Amino acid sequence: MKTSRKNTLWGYLFASPWIVGFLIFGLYPIFASFYYSLCQYDVLRIPQFVGLRNYRELLFQDHYFYSAVWNTLFYTFIRSPLVIIGSLALALIVSRAARGVKFFRTIYFIPSIISGVILSVLWLWLLNPQYGLINSALQFFGLQGPLWLIDPSWSKPAIILMNIWSLGGGRMLVFLAAIQNVPTHYYEAVEMDGGGWWAKFTNVTLPFISPVLFLWFILEVIFSLQVFVEAYVMTKGGPLNSTLFYNLYLYNKAFDDFDMGYASALAWLLFILAGVITFVQFRLSKRWVYYSGGAEK
Amino acid sequence: MMQRQRESSLIFILMVVIALFFLLPFLWVLLTSLKPEAEVFSRNFLPTTLQFDNYLQLFHKIPFLLFLRNSVFITVISVIGVTLSSSLVGYAFGCMNWRGRNSLFYFVIATMMLPMQVTMIPVFVIFKEIGWLNSFKPLTVPMFLGGGAFNIFLMRQFFMTVPGSLLDAARIDGCSELAIYWKIVLPLAKPALATVAILTFMFTWNDFLGPLIYLSDKAKGTLALGLGQLAGQQQPEWAVLMAASVLMMLPVIVIFFLFQKYFIQGFTMSGIKE
Amino acid sequence: MRSKTLKILFWLVSGAILAALWGPAQKGDAQQQVHYWFVAGVKDNIPPCVTWFNESQDSIQVVATPIPWNEHEKKVLTAILSGNPPDVVNLVTPVPKWAARKALVALDSIIVADKLDTANFFPALWQEMKYRDDTYALPAYTGAFALFYNKRLMRRAGLDPAQPPGTWEEVKDYARKMTRRENGKLTEMGFIPQYGNIETPLIIAFEQGVRFVDASGSRVDLLDPALIHSLQWEHDFFDIYKVDEVTAFMGGFGYGNQHGFIAEKVALFINDNSFIDQIQKYNPGLDYGVAMIPSLEERPSVSAAGSWWLAIPRGSRHKRGAWEFMKFVVSHPVQLREAMSREETLFPVNRLAAHDPAFLAMHPYMAVFSDQMEQTRSKSITPLVHDIFWREFSLARERSLRGVLPPQQALLAAEKTIQFSLDRALEYDHYVNARMRTEEFFD
Repeated sequence: MKTSRKNTLWGYLFASPWIVGFLIFGLYPIFASFYYSLCQYDVLRIPQFVGLRNYRELLFQDHYFYSAVWNTLFYTFIRSPLVIIGSLALALIVSRAARGVKFFRTIYFIPSIISGVILSVLWLWLLNPQYGLINSALQFFGLQGPLWLIDPSWSKPAIILMNIWSLGGGRMLVFLAAIQNVPTHYYEAVEMDGGGWWAKFTNVTLPFISPVLFLWFILEVIFSLQVFVEAYVMTKGGPLNSTLFYNLYLYNKAFDDFDMGYASALAWLLFILAGVITFVQFRLSKRWVYYSGGAEK
Repeated sequence: MMQRQRESSLIFILMVVIALFFLLPFLWVLLTSLKPEAEVFSRNFLPTTLQFDNYLQLFHKIPFLLFLRNSVFITVISVIGVTLSSSLVGYAFGCMNWRGRNSLFYFVIATMMLPMQVTMIPVFVIFKEIGWLNSFKPLTVPMFLGGGAFNIFLMRQFFMTVPGSLLDAARIDGCSELAIYWKIVLPLAKPALATVAILTFMFTWNDFLGPLIYLSDKAKGTLALGLGQLAGQQQPEWAVLMAASVLMMLPVIVIFFLFQKYFIQGFTMSGIKE
Repeated sequence: MRSKTLKILFWLVSGAILAALWGPAQKGDAQQQVHYWFVAGVKDNIPPCVTWFNESQDSIQVVATPIPWNEHEKKVLTAILSGNPPDVVNLVTPVPKWAARKALVALDSIIVADKLDTANFFPALWQEMKYRDDTYALPAYTGAFALFYNKRLMRRAGLDPAQPPGTWEEVKDYARKMTRRENGKLTEMGFIPQYGNIETPLIIAFEQGVRFVDASGSRVDLLDPALIHSLQWEHDFFDIYKVDEVTAFMGGFGYGNQHGFIAEKVALFINDNSFIDQIQKYNPGLDYGVAMIPSLEERPSVSAAGSWWLAIPRGSRHKRGAWEFMKFVVSHPVQLREAMSREETLFPVNRLAAHDPAFLAMHPYMAVFSDQMEQTRSKSITPLVHDIFWREFSLARERSLRGVLPPQQALLAAEKTIQFSLDRALEYDHYVNARMRTEEFFD
């Protein structure tokens, strides 16, 4: 199919809801936040233009900036693959037409609908080193559980664990939808060649769902880089700043310290970081993502 | 045959074990909602007596039915808006070929990368300028305008797995793009639509910050806002809070259970093969 | 296939129409209404003082709206930004934090015009209502701190329950006597300096007259030997315990009946007066007493407190009505009546109410709280960078406590960060002050 003028017109027409929305609600906030990143500004008073000072101070004088970046990257690169692998495994299990599968799917999905406050209360309880469910279970197997959220070296893993639990079901859903879209006759072909479930998975399922898998690799990175609520509610960044994630620091600056200018500069640096990682992923995707149809690449 | 059976019962056991992992904490929320306040933090998993007092109290503490009505209104409108507009835009990116498509698509993705904390205030100012504050419009109207980069991306990735030959055949037959979108692609994309619908439902249903800053009349409050109210200050009443969150979760569970059938109706069921 | 899609669409659309019809209708605003936003507790959906005020006269109607604790500052911030804020707000974060941002209406002119007797407020609370030379709010409620001690555990350790510790040295000594271990594991502790809402080293520093900033308020000074000594005291408290084992022990504490003091795992605990209600609710049989907060030898007992306060956001349309309501709430009779009618006792800011026999009769130990309130310091030290100050102070404490850094170096690091932010904030403040004015009551 050629990119004729007619096609281009139709393309923009179909994309117009987003374009219109962006022009009305998206453009100004983006420009505004960029302008504020060059200012001292506290939302309630007039901005004072200071040029690149916020960026300079962030990069060369603010040691919290670097610990926030480190905490966030650690979180991102450990969490993203774990969540994806975990929820993909879940999806594979419940994609079979076994008895009661509908029921199990619902159960797996339940944690992802528990809303923020309750989720945090729940996990504060689960992770309680003395009488929490997790350490009690570990004790049952004769293991001494860690201090979780109050130990600087376990606080990040604790939050990652909670994430897998609370997100697994929702992500499972998305992978499930993708797996159900795989044409069955491909599986039949593998079966005829004598391939087992692993061969089916690697030769058929994986290539077919690779666009969705790719989507989630991109999204998980973007989401992880913006991790906020968990730390905000449960640890406030502690102990010893071990959960001071990037967006928590940004939030502190913007809304506790009323330093919206500095926060905006933080936001734009994160934007660049996320952009670079995503760009690399798009580059790498050409090697492994397989699109079975649709438009040319 | 024997092996098949053994395999499936193994998988069944695995499913049960995983279910326990997911269910136990939820059970705690449920049981806590049935406990008297004084027992909430005791180490007993089970309440000494089952009582529905916390649920009854809820109706005194917040105008539950009013909030429910507002939440349903906002959520239904949002789900319609998001599924319609994100599939439309996703179709443009996933199934059509046009100049500027890729650049625009990357641009859409890029809008996800700027943390909302810094755009929130300027967005608020826009709604203030057009006089939409203290109405449901800021929470619903933007949903019809693309439905957010996340959903567009999701739809696009699904659409890209639709066989191209199918679309080209339709085009050769003289179908318009709108007809292809409506008659061919959308029916095939039911699992994706259902996913987007459920995720949007969940997001809108639980959204706290949006209603908080845009709605000021108490009569316009939503359930998530009411729940936030109960979370209160220094000493929240946890049992009531748990009861409220169980009530919040129920509709989502029901909707999920009902929508599920669309997940097992992909290409497999529609009988379309390349 | 198509009919199914259509069917779904049909249901969705009809659902939407139904929802739209069902949707809420607009409500007209009545006149002469003063809108009052308060951060909601679970109790007292509409504060009794609002009802009483509305009953007390006919010209002003106060409409109270609860706002959730979570993100309530954002709610107030955006409301002020919208140009249509409530007429009175009730907040707890320091007044200067908002006043410095020109978010509140300056009240001095009306205070003078109305001859409001401000000497009736506890001095530390009143001082917090000011930024630079102007007053921006009236204190409304506070929490008064004191030392709670477990009589049973004292008796068991051979201590006289009629003689609670009066000095920090005694605290340390008693704490050791009351600490118990089973199989090498801590099961009960006498005192844990980092458990609770009040910062022990801060109190000790206040006793010694530490000021944290110079007179102009523009230079942070955390290297005062007395402050270093305070952090050192806390650190030395752990010479016979390991920080990690105490942390693990504290991990077993929770809310309600799992609270360390209520569950009788900690014998000495500093907390505010609302803790009485918590004990009553979760462990009514607890044998405890309340005493003044300990102090160093020869130093006065000092506490720290902040308050819930009432103020008029800039842009309010009914300043006069708002002011009348504020005056009403902080008056002696109303403060007294409200303190006595609330389920959870918020402490009065009005000294007449706090020392009123009727109020003191509410609980045998109430007088201790009232006396302690007279010797209280404000925690508003660097208002322009208030949160940064306390974040850094906590971090310095945590570092010193865990032995990551010696107290002096931990404080030095904190001082640097605070000073850096303060310089920024001052420069911006200076820039703004030359270009933007604060709203006055009679504007």
